[in-house]
Amino acid sequence: MKLAPVDYTILAVYFAFVLGIGWILRKKMSTSGDFLLSGRSVPVWITSLAFIAANLGAQELVGMSASGAKYGIMTAHFYWIGAIPAILFVGIFMMPFYYGSKARSVPEYLKMRYDEKTRTYNAFSFAVMTIFSSGISMYALGKLLQLVLGWDFNMSILVSAAIVLVYTFLGGLTSAIYNEVLQFLWIVAGFSPLAILAVAKAGGWQGIQTRLGAMTLAGGMSGRVMTHAWTYMGSPQSNPMGVELFGMVAGLGFVLSFGYWCTNFLVIQRAMAADSMNSARRTPLIGAFPKMFLPFIVIVPGIAAVALANMHVGYSIPVEANGAPNYNLVITTLMAKFYPAGMLGVGLTGLVASFMSGMAGNVTAFNTVWTYDIYQTYIRKNAPDRHYLHVGRATTIVGVLLSIGAAYVATRYDNIMDLLQLVFGFVNAPLFATFLLGMFWKRGTGHAAFSGLVTGTVTAALTWCLTLAEGKGGILGTVHTFPSAMAQSFWIALMAFTSCFLVTLVVSLATKPRPEKDLEGLVYGLTKIPQDRGSWYQRPAPLAVIIIAILLVLNIWFA
Amino acid sequence: MLDLRVPSGWFFTVLGLILLGMGIFAPETRATLSDANVNLYSGLAMLVFGLFMLFMAWRASRRAA
Repeated sequence: MKLAPVDYTILAVYFAFVLGIGWILRKKMSTSGDFLLSGRSVPVWITSLAFIAANLGAQELVGMSASGAKYGIMTAHFYWIGAIPAILFVGIFMMPFYYGSKARSVPEYLKMRYDEKTRTYNAFSFAVMTIFSSGISMYALGKLLQLVLGWDFNMSILVSAAIVLVYTFLGGLTSAIYNEVLQFLWIVAGFSPLAILAVAKAGGWQGIQTRLGAMTLAGGMSGRVMTHAWTYMGSPQSNPMGVELFGMVAGLGFVLSFGYWCTNFLVIQRAMAADSMNSARRTPLIGAFPKMFLPFIVIVPGIAAVALANMHVGYSIPVEANGAPNYNLVITTLMAKFYPAGMLGVGLTGLVASFMSGMAGNVTAFNTVWTYDIYQTYIRKNAPDRHYLHVGRATTIVGVLLSIGAAYVATRYDNIMDLLQLVFGFVNAPLFATFLLGMFWKRGTGHAAFSGLVTGTVTAALTWCLTLAEGKGGILGTVHTFPSAMAQSFWIALMAFTSCFLVTLVVSLATKPRPEKDLEGLVYGLTKIPQDRGSWYQRPAPLAVIIIAILLVLNIWFA
Repeated sequence: MLDLRVPSGWFFTVLGLILLGMGIFAPETRATLSDANVNLYSGLAMLVFGLFMLFMAWRASRRAA
């Protein structure tokens, strides 16, 4: 694929605006709170879009269209049964404790609610994880641009990392958040025409259904399996994902999604930057509106691509050297076929923008956790605020450098990426149990939370070591074989959550409870839940009801 | 605090104008699989969105003043 001068002009315009926003915001950064927490003063529509955009990295865009091509509309479960219910839960039920506790980060909430060791466990695993996820996505983007456009791998990752560094260094979290909104709008502008053009070319949703029908029938599954999300979930053999209903709803819908959206500081930080408790609670809810419709621009093009490949119109699914389909290239090859010079620049810049919003999200979250939860706790406790502002700024540089380092680690050891993602899964899966018991049960204790987390992680690792799926896992023997790696990961999460929940429960009852006055503002029953006033769109509950209604319609429509 | 509607409004206005210009002055620039003048339509949509953002920002600043 070759880009025209106009495409490069568009890319340059994007860079200019992103850097310009950082430049304008640089003067507002006078305390560490301004730099790391946005001074808790960002309007709600901005935090809402940033809440969604920080999660919408390049890997998500590329991965979702790839899954669309592989599994069909079932991929939308990651949104419709996964993300949205969890987002509603964090906005309605958890945000009063996060925002109300005045904690500056998620690990700091754990310190207030439980104890120092639980915070440290969470802070360190989170810090390592953010660095590696931004490194891995940097690697993925560099590889993609190299493959599609022939850009130099080193050049593209160094330039994009440098731009993220400049604007987060200048304007801190505010700059990252403001740019995430711009990037989100750009992603929508750059990707939605593709969905429209590809679906129209494939003969609309009806046309896609007919064309994919023959293909899945030939593969031994129902002809409607790619275009129906729920109908074929009875047994793992009847759908391409290889997952059954319970594993999907409990594993993905409950444990994994709630674990991510309700405890991951990367997204929670955006809501914490809001200007009031009411705005903080509405941040996830307002973000849920665009989030619900993202499948149409990130998953549907992947599905349309498979239909187009069956139509002999001049599009085929890209293949690797050994002939296996390479679904990760679906989105870029579609752009090359449907976008003329000009719009092509917008589309590809959208991909770069998604990478940057993901990376800036990771870097700013890393910054805050490092400065407040690690540096201020273990290295220098009582310095003047100015000192922490400098540390925050310096950490931005270190964070970006470490991410680049992680990207190069990923280029050298292909398997290390799989391994790391596996390990992070183990560390993350039990977390939601810790927060659930922490926020809604005042009896929960620090020792219990810590032992629960460790047990959960060990259980997750053991489950992986004792089960087999697609040739992975089972290094200590095979007790059970899963029909797919996805089913395996859902069940690992379930085991981790359950064991963490039970251990935290039992150990709590055996240890000394904290006095109630220490838990005010941190636990349900000891916290004043804010009274909501104003019109319906200013209150969380009516918004949640509308979201649930739309969600039901979407699920039934594509059932 | 910076009103984000201003930069995002300008941003989409500029982008819309570039694409609209392509759509009008180089209408023969087409992709292999699409017969539509994609630049023209998306440029128009972006321009409208950009101007709308600028209008909203202008209205808010007038109300504040």
